[in-house]
Amino acid sequence: MSQNRQYELVYIVSPDASEQDIADLHTQVEQIVQRFNATLDKTENWGRRKLAYEIGKAREGTYVVETITGSGELMKEIDRRLRVTDTIIRHLIVRIDDAIRVADRLRDQRKATQARRRVARGLPPEPSPSERRGDRDMEDVDDIGMEGTEQR
Amino acid sequence: MSEERGGRGRGGKKDDKGKGGDRPRGGGFFRRRRVCKFCADKIDYINYKDVRLLSPFIPERGKIQPRRISGTCAKHQRALQTAISRARQLALIPYVTD
Repeated sequence: MSQNRQYELVYIVSPDASEQDIADLHTQVEQIVQRFNATLDKTENWGRRKLAYEIGKAREGTYVVETITGSGELMKEIDRRLRVTDTIIRHLIVRIDDAIRVADRLRDQRKATQARRRVARGLPPEPSPSERRGDRDMEDVDDIGMEGTEQR
Repeated sequence: MSEERGGRGRGGKKDDKGKGGDRPRGGGFFRRRRVCKFCADKIDYINYKDVRLLSPFIPERGKIQPRRISGTCAKHQRALQTAISRARQLALIPYVTD
């Protein structure tokens, strides 16, 4: 069980690093993951992005997001390795499997409630796209409030 | 009944403090009903990488908007807090802006 945790790793590579360096870092992570018999589910490269504040002397950096399924030991090792790598200016590891599970459960619950209520009203459980309520924006609600259109 | 003012539009700022679900009483006064954005849009997971989602809750100064202003429910405000902290650490959102 503890082997199958899902983590999200985000790291910011220094703007001085070349494309090759970024690729190298990725293979490095991949190798560690393989050594621990874990799996690298997804890699996302956001490319160069401006930082909200300076980190050291860097004003921008390359963001890479990796989704990894593995053990805590593995993440500990990756964390240690990234910490000592100079080209990485910032990194963050977040465990996401429990959050995803909670989100899934909430979504399923909502669907089930909706289906139950619809059946109780004698409708098919799934709403057809045409009867979906229009997406009322927050702004609309605000407008009503400001104009004081509620009259009795 | 204290709310006999009957004026339209917003009354004094002090009225913001009331509970979100307050019904309008008496005249045409209507208190803006605050709805939790995440409940309304059915967002189950507040993703810290989604700056567009978080930015409405970060006013100019870079602080987190309090619940009493944004209308976020307690549960989602807590989740929002963590998401913003993470985003800050990744320099997606500033800690402070002067």
